[in-house]
Amino acid sequence: MNYSTSQFKNGLKLMLDGNPCSIVNNEIVKPGKGQAFNRVKFKDLITGKTLEKTFKSGESLEAADVMELEMQYLYSDGEKWHFMDPESFDQFDLGKESMGTALNYLVEQDNCIVTLWNNNPISVSPPNHVTLEVIDTDPGLKGDTAGTGGKPATLNTGVVVQVPLFVAIGDRVKVDTRTNEYTGRA
Amino acid sequence: MSNFKANLLHYQNLTRNIRDFFYARNVIEVVTPSLLIAPTTDVYIDSIEVSVNYALSKSSKFYLHSSPELEMKRLLSRGSGDIFQICQVFRDNEHGRINSNEFTMLEFYRVGFNMHQLIEETKDLLIFLGNDNPVKQMSYSQAFFEFADVDILNSDYEDLKSILKFHGLNTDYDWIEDMQMVLFVHLIEPKIKDFPVCFIYDFPKQQAALAQIDGLVAHRFEMYIKGTEIANGYQEIQTSKEYRDRFETELGKRKALSKPISFLDEDFLDDLGNGLPPCSGVAIGIDRLFTSLGL
Repeated sequence: MNYSTSQFKNGLKLMLDGNPCSIVNNEIVKPGKGQAFNRVKFKDLITGKTLEKTFKSGESLEAADVMELEMQYLYSDGEKWHFMDPESFDQFDLGKESMGTALNYLVEQDNCIVTLWNNNPISVSPPNHVTLEVIDTDPGLKGDTAGTGGKPATLNTGVVVQVPLFVAIGDRVKVDTRTNEYTGRA
Repeated sequence: MSNFKANLLHYQNLTRNIRDFFYARNVIEVVTPSLLIAPTTDVYIDSIEVSVNYALSKSSKFYLHSSPELEMKRLLSRGSGDIFQICQVFRDNEHGRINSNEFTMLEFYRVGFNMHQLIEETKDLLIFLGNDNPVKQMSYSQAFFEFADVDILNSDYEDLKSILKFHGLNTDYDWIEDMQMVLFVHLIEPKIKDFPVCFIYDFPKQQAALAQIDGLVAHRFEMYIKGTEIANGYQEIQTSKEYRDRFETELGKRKALSKPISFLDEDFLDDLGNGLPPCSGVAIGIDRLFTSLGL
């Protein structure tokens, strides 16, 4: 199946240079004296890189068979990370290189979005907000409850996040996975 | 006052200021017909056809003007001197965020001006209308050297093909000028978005349109505001013969692309008679200009 430039819209998944890509921005440019073009920004769903291409209006690209499914993270054996589709009970696994920043936030049994291309998993997105446990941090200053200043804290996934001084080992904290920022205690 | 009404007044001020600017310079405001007997010959501009009834049941085809250019040139050839016009123009197959089938155009001609004098006056107009941002000015060829490391004027069809390939773009273009244009859209426009106002002048001769050719370049310019094309101007060709040649080239391209065939406006070519006086003219998209002023 092909999509013509007139059908381009944000989020559409297309094949570009052999990789599945998602349209991030689509701009029609019609020079006064020239033919119309579409200047399109893509995100490569495998490498995560963004790229820009310009097409003459009317060109078409092959659709990418890409699905985003909510799955449960089961466990990691150190080489592969295993996920399950809770509806079909199908299991999928990804290597470390495909896990991206999801590695920093996923604990077993958590839900996340797994992107499948031709039914093979290519990437994982953690939820925007996760709750994790502090396993190491310097003791806070007594009486500092206002949260001025900050200190690094290691969470149970291994990720390090800046937290307010009053946060202690064993606390459960909320983290925004898009910015790696502490957003509050759970 | 509501925003809506404030906007109407801002627009009124814009057109009033444009008129004041030209009246003060003794440029005459004209109105020319928008129903024409021939469609434009431009390969990539499609005229909108309309039917008009006359003599009871007889109907006749007309074309809405896509620009007042030729009608204004008729006036120039008859000795009008400096003229300007603000009018609605119509083009088929144009749509998108900043394209539409109908838009407002300011077009003006200055007798005795060369391209650079007209660029200077266009800058003056912009300042008069309230855009006093710094102006970048570079030739088409400089822009390609600076932003793409390409010698655009000395690149032939095969060279351009390999440049397109290098950037992962489709190479299926019929003419060298189309490849220059896609490269301009892909490589140059995103760079000139950084300039509040940018004039690009001396286009490759293949993109001369109706501008005078001098060696490898045509004395044509465009004005971009934050990367959006706002104006297109020429140091005008003058003789009927030159117009005929340029029109025929465009008609040939329309034919090659199987586009609705246009035809020559022989009346226009006849009316040019001894031709235009030496002059330069520019068309400015008023809707885009208004938006860019952000009043």
